[in-house]
Amino acid sequence: MRSFLRLSAMFASIMLMFAMNANAQEPIRIGVLLPFTGPLAKNGIENWEAMQIARDMINERGGVNGRKIEFVQGDATTPNAAISETERLITKEGIKITTGSFASPLAIAVSQAAERHGVFHWETTGAAEVITRRGFKNTFQVGAPARKYSQAAVDFIVEDLAARLKKPMSELRIALLWENRAFGKSVGDGVRAYSEKKSIKLVYDEGYDQTTTDMTPVVQKLKDVKPDVLIAISFPNDAILFQRKAKELDFNVGAFIGVSAGYSAPDLRDSLGNSVTGIFVADFPPKVNANVLKPEVKKVAEEFYKRYEAKLKRAPAGHAAAGFSAVWALFTEVLPKAKTYEPGELRELALKLDLPEGSLVNGSGIKFTNFDWPDDPKDAGQNLRASIGVWQWTKDGNEQVFPPSLATHEPIQVPMPAWDKR
Amino acid sequence: MSTLGQLIISGVLVGGIYALMSIGLTLIFGVLRIVNFAHGEFLMIAMYGAWAITRLLGLNPYIAAIAIVPAMFLFGAIVYRLIISPALDKPHLVVVFATMALSIFIQNAALMIMTADLLDVPPIFGRSLTIGPIYIKVELLLGFIITIFCTVGLQWMIRTTYLGKAIRATVQDGEAAMLMGIPVPRIFLITFAVGSALVGLAACVMMPLFSVFPTVGLNFVLIAFVIVVLGGMGSIEGALLGGICVGVVQSLSSYYVAPAFGQLFFFVLFLLVMIFRPNGLLGQKGAATVGMNE
Repeated sequence: MRSFLRLSAMFASIMLMFAMNANAQEPIRIGVLLPFTGPLAKNGIENWEAMQIARDMINERGGVNGRKIEFVQGDATTPNAAISETERLITKEGIKITTGSFASPLAIAVSQAAERHGVFHWETTGAAEVITRRGFKNTFQVGAPARKYSQAAVDFIVEDLAARLKKPMSELRIALLWENRAFGKSVGDGVRAYSEKKSIKLVYDEGYDQTTTDMTPVVQKLKDVKPDVLIAISFPNDAILFQRKAKELDFNVGAFIGVSAGYSAPDLRDSLGNSVTGIFVADFPPKVNANVLKPEVKKVAEEFYKRYEAKLKRAPAGHAAAGFSAVWALFTEVLPKAKTYEPGELRELALKLDLPEGSLVNGSGIKFTNFDWPDDPKDAGQNLRASIGVWQWTKDGNEQVFPPSLATHEPIQVPMPAWDKR
Repeated sequence: MSTLGQLIISGVLVGGIYALMSIGLTLIFGVLRIVNFAHGEFLMIAMYGAWAITRLLGLNPYIAAIAIVPAMFLFGAIVYRLIISPALDKPHLVVVFATMALSIFIQNAALMIMTADLLDVPPIFGRSLTIGPIYIKVELLLGFIITIFCTVGLQWMIRTTYLGKAIRATVQDGEAAMLMGIPVPRIFLITFAVGSALVGLAACVMMPLFSVFPTVGLNFVLIAFVIVVLGGMGSIEGALLGGICVGVVQSLSSYYVAPAFGQLFFFVLFLLVMIFRPNGLLGQKGAATVGMNE
């Protein structure tokens, strides 16, 4: 009997050894929650392409600790779908690490489902402030939060445009136009609050309905107000309607700053043609000045842009670059130090990260809050070193123009030429 | 002063476009006494068609109308045969749900086939016309002129042709018309198809002005419903007047009050008309039940 026990113990330990050995070769499975179908699919798939490039690059380098990365897709079309798909990946597929999810409402849903199951969620581009302010322990928002969009736009005016427009800040007429749903309103509120802090008075500040079919009143009002700079938060359809109406009514402005969303959509040029040239966009940087990047990151960046352009025949948008940057950081800064790959351990590793700006491909660094941020002690998992800035539509692409450290190009066309000269 | 002039002119012109897309709806309502909730989706399909012809064949969207209008006529006829006709003698709610379902179906089919991308055609005329300080977009002006022609032409057709007389007879008393040898089901079919063809025309006029995407119909259909009721259900010139009213009210209130309130004000106008003239601006007494005007 005793020998039988001994034998079986030996057998068991051998089996265990095999099992562990097999475990070392097993891929690390990560759930990717993105809108693959539905109205947001275009952006979702763009992010997916960028993430796949990151996965291929890491696997070609031998994976993480000898284990390959494997993605499991979940189709987060709407917040409801996002929740059920996250639940499915966690309960049916046994996923313990999730990433994605492109838009804020989706990010809110995915992180909630992940938190409920104690799963580690690495958010790439969801920007709403609330994502990190619900007391969640396992949600890490790598991209910049919403208020930074507004700050980038205002800082750009104060630190750069005012001089180019040859006016002191006190005389510069700044107008703010926002679509009046969740995104436009929250960014608009941010711009207003930050302007007040910098004692800037807005000469125009109005919301409009995104589904409007006639922009005449808005454009006419702006024409009467005669702003030097216009900050606009729009979605694609209303952005196009606005620009066309501006041309129709010959409304000209010294500088035009769109904030993310409609003005950063890569196909805006298809609709507006070359009249996009000169428009500034406060957003995640699509491509930053390579000199700010650490030497090893620079090489990764070069490879990413090369692969992306070869695959999609155009440069990535800010969201795609942010998606790549975030998962690459996960693959190279968090996972390699892990032993158990359990959410608790990953959380500790993420909180220990202290990467200076320029550590990620899009110029970001990483330092997460952990209920210790003076501005809001309930905040955890916000990346305080996420990069944001202003880029500009140029004749044949886009160039980062602000902040100067990330800029690849000087701003052009300030003041913007009138419509008949474009 | 120039601001006010600009707002009124723009409001009138864009109102003309709104009217054009509402005429089909009011015609169908006036004759068949049904509300086509998929009207906005008909517009969307026709806009995709106009886009495809413009982009792929390199034709002008106005020329595309030569193909789109008959195609939409045919499409309307098929929808009538398959969906509307079987539901007509059932309780009224059946038609409501049938067209509602059709609307959702078309929207989602478009989302699958065309994706959510915005599609548009390049502007046809580079610059606006200027009259003093007022700017007029040529495409809008053309659209307005087409609307006027359409309204007048349709009125003429209904007043003088045999088909028009048959339509009017059907509206006045369907059973009596049938006894007089008027093929009422065929009149219904033709009316529904003509209504759809008119949306097709509206789509070609709108294509140079607006982008098309799967839910574009939703942005316009609410306006169309207001116009139809405002002008008097079934009244064609009422739709023109209603369209212009909505366009101007929207334009002025968005400017002088706030852009977010543009819709609020035309709904207030709508409520006022409903209270004081329940049959609409040009709907004669009992228009809501009788439909077409004499």
